[in-house]
Amino acid sequence: MYKFPEGLYTDVRIEDVFQTSIQITMGRLDDVKEKSYRAAFIRLYDGKRWFYASTSDVDGIQGEIDALASMASKNENIEKDPIFKRLEVNEGEFLKFIGKDSVKEISLNEKIGLLKEYYPIIAHSEHVKLWRANYIDLNVKKSFYSSKGSNIVFDTQRVGMRIGFELSDGEKKFADRFDRGSNYFASLKGLEKEIETRFNKAVLFLKEAVDVKPGKYTVVLSPEAAGVFAHESFGHKSESDFMIGDESMKEEWKIGKKVGSEILSIVDDGNIMGTGYTPFDDEGTRAKETYLIKNGILAGRLHSAKTAAALKEELTGNARALNFEYEPIVRMTTTYIKGGDKSFEELISEIDEGVLIETLKHGSGMSTFTLAPSMAYMIRNGKVAEPVKISVVSGNVFETLNEIDGLTKDVKILEFALGGCGKFEQFPLPVGFGGPYVRVKSLNVR
Amino acid sequence: MIKEKYVEKTSQLAVNIENNRVESVRRKDITKTAIRVYSENKLGVAGGLGKIDEEELTERAVKALDFNIQYPVEPTSDLEMNIVYHADFNDENEFVNEIEELLVEISKEQPDFIFSNKATLTTTENSIKNNLGLNLFHSGTSLNIGLIFKRKGSGNIFDGMVGYSGLKYDRKEFLKLTNEICEAFKNSIEEFNPGRYPVVFLQSDSIYLMKLYRDLHGLIFATGGSLLSGKIGQKLFDESFTLYQTRNHADGFYGSFFDLEGTVTPEFRYPLIENGILRSPYTNKKTAKLFNLPHTGAAGGEYDSVPDVAAYPFSLKESDKTLEELLEGRKGIFVLVASGGDFTPDGNFATPVQLPLLFDGKRFIGRLPELNISSNLFDMFGKDFIGVGKDNLTSLGPSRAVIMEMEVSKI
Repeated sequence: MYKFPEGLYTDVRIEDVFQTSIQITMGRLDDVKEKSYRAAFIRLYDGKRWFYASTSDVDGIQGEIDALASMASKNENIEKDPIFKRLEVNEGEFLKFIGKDSVKEISLNEKIGLLKEYYPIIAHSEHVKLWRANYIDLNVKKSFYSSKGSNIVFDTQRVGMRIGFELSDGEKKFADRFDRGSNYFASLKGLEKEIETRFNKAVLFLKEAVDVKPGKYTVVLSPEAAGVFAHESFGHKSESDFMIGDESMKEEWKIGKKVGSEILSIVDDGNIMGTGYTPFDDEGTRAKETYLIKNGILAGRLHSAKTAAALKEELTGNARALNFEYEPIVRMTTTYIKGGDKSFEELISEIDEGVLIETLKHGSGMSTFTLAPSMAYMIRNGKVAEPVKISVVSGNVFETLNEIDGLTKDVKILEFALGGCGKFEQFPLPVGFGGPYVRVKSLNVR
Repeated sequence: MIKEKYVEKTSQLAVNIENNRVESVRRKDITKTAIRVYSENKLGVAGGLGKIDEEELTERAVKALDFNIQYPVEPTSDLEMNIVYHADFNDENEFVNEIEELLVEISKEQPDFIFSNKATLTTTENSIKNNLGLNLFHSGTSLNIGLIFKRKGSGNIFDGMVGYSGLKYDRKEFLKLTNEICEAFKNSIEEFNPGRYPVVFLQSDSIYLMKLYRDLHGLIFATGGSLLSGKIGQKLFDESFTLYQTRNHADGFYGSFFDLEGTVTPEFRYPLIENGILRSPYTNKKTAKLFNLPHTGAAGGEYDSVPDVAAYPFSLKESDKTLEELLEGRKGIFVLVASGGDFTPDGNFATPVQLPLLFDGKRFIGRLPELNISSNLFDMFGKDFIGVGKDNLTSLGPSRAVIMEMEVSKI
């Protein structure tokens, strides 16, 4: 064990990483990588400032601790510091992805074989000009030790595949993909039907999509679009590091304030399996279910020990780091909108003219949030109608939260193979997101 | 058998800024090494972090040949170059102290704002060597100060940003830039009539170039999935529009001067569109050979990947006019923050501009309401292209801006 310096808080996070990536382009194997490494991140706090080091030399961790300590000032009262007091102490081994559940136990040939089973579904279409299939997995075992007494070992695992394709029909072009993430290799099997359905939809979109007439429409967001909306428009605003030091923000974001429609509840929970699964955060805090909005009322926010101490609130288990090169900052885990009481048919039946956003390229969220749709459709007289090409859908976050007037019962949590959430320099962090189909009375569609 | 060794080393001091003060300091020192072996038109790669055993890595790379990854290209040979440069700071303590002092001054001059995010001093070393006489070495230290700001009481996560990446540091100039932007932010201009306006982007902003990054990708282009496929040699854009793939300092690029295959291009640039004429998509060796395209030196990927086609930054050729001259007395809309927009498959572009500033070519006048801007790829860089100013927005370093006419309306 390490010799932690007196009068300071110290923690060490060692990451044992196993990862695979495979890429096949147009039937040619382009790249195969399987690697393992061990690396660490060290944090030290003196009550005034944090000092961090990341290293790929795990034998030199004690040296890094000592070097950081030499930059800090010894604090006899560190145990009275509100951040120190907030930090959880946990002990034990919490390994979930071991034995046959670990991607380490699956051969490279089996992983390559998975892609080979699927790509014939799209490879022979006359409309496919380019296709590329990717497989990735990432198994991380984290060992966390702190000067306060934490001593935990836990793991996370991400497995995923993507088949991306470029379609062409004369001058018409369209790019789409099938993307599936999970915690287990076995869940990537048997997806033939889903891949075929998605591919056929994309070809139809290529051939039939027309330009949307720009304007304001009632918009129905699919679980994918609703999840991105929840993540980008409200999830990021719930990350408490954005609130620190601004007294008027604390007033503006007072718990109990009405921020959305009464049918709206948004939750973040690291316990949910999927790509956002985070049993402990990177400060050693256990995952918790946190309501951000409950029935339209601001109910909570996401914290690290530092932000929880500053706002005098409880820890939520949301201090996450992209990898051993970075310090934990406040991030989401799995964020989703709770379901409502309608069927999909009921939800759209009340719309004379509207837009259904089915799939997305990306989204963003400041005071004006955006969704860049990939596949979208007009809704006419209560039915899904022609496919439409849309550059961007945008709206004011708070107006939109109040304009949500319908939710379907069923909720879908999505898991993607590649990509993730970006915040400052740390991208892409695996997260989960989702929701029901969500109806918004008015959004700007261009 | 040809053996190649590629090494990436990053040493970084990152100063994390929260509420106008230094909250934490992070040191990073990471070395990544890859060995590649070429044999019978195949490539095997193996990589490792930190201290590595080169013999063991070589054995793994040889074993990786069994994957039968076809790589029918000649590795770069007989080329030796060595480029080393430094930012104004060499001493880490000096950098931390300067950021602390800078923040004190910014807080005094802009008390209505909260500044956060990071300042970094980063040294990147890249080297590639093989037994065909290739020996390239790059070592560069550059600084980045990226501050996001929020006006006190604003409901936004952040309202805007001010920053600079480069080699030179001048506190007075950085303060001047920060003050100009913050003062313009405070001057709210509510009245706005929809119509066609000159829209000004920082050249390094990628949002207006998104479609070209995608449609000039060598593989997408060559296989017919690009709007530009099959149009090499055609004049598609305005005469004054020239687009480079760049690894040149003059364009604000401070990474390695060679790509992942050890290719060095003249002046560290490659013209993909020249005077409006499409010359080439961006390619690595393999894509260029497979599809008989020009080779532009755009191989990238992770240090231990088989090199793939990768987008390096684009830059635009500047005109012989200043921004003020290009605007010809009109006021432009400077896009300081535009997030979330995109192009349709046909090239139609639209994005909200979350922070637009009214701009006269020399100074930021005030903050406009949130706007929508829209156009089409072929108009933006065709009939509606006004040009790239020859002047920089700040004397700190490369910071040119580009102007094009667009439809603009209030959100």
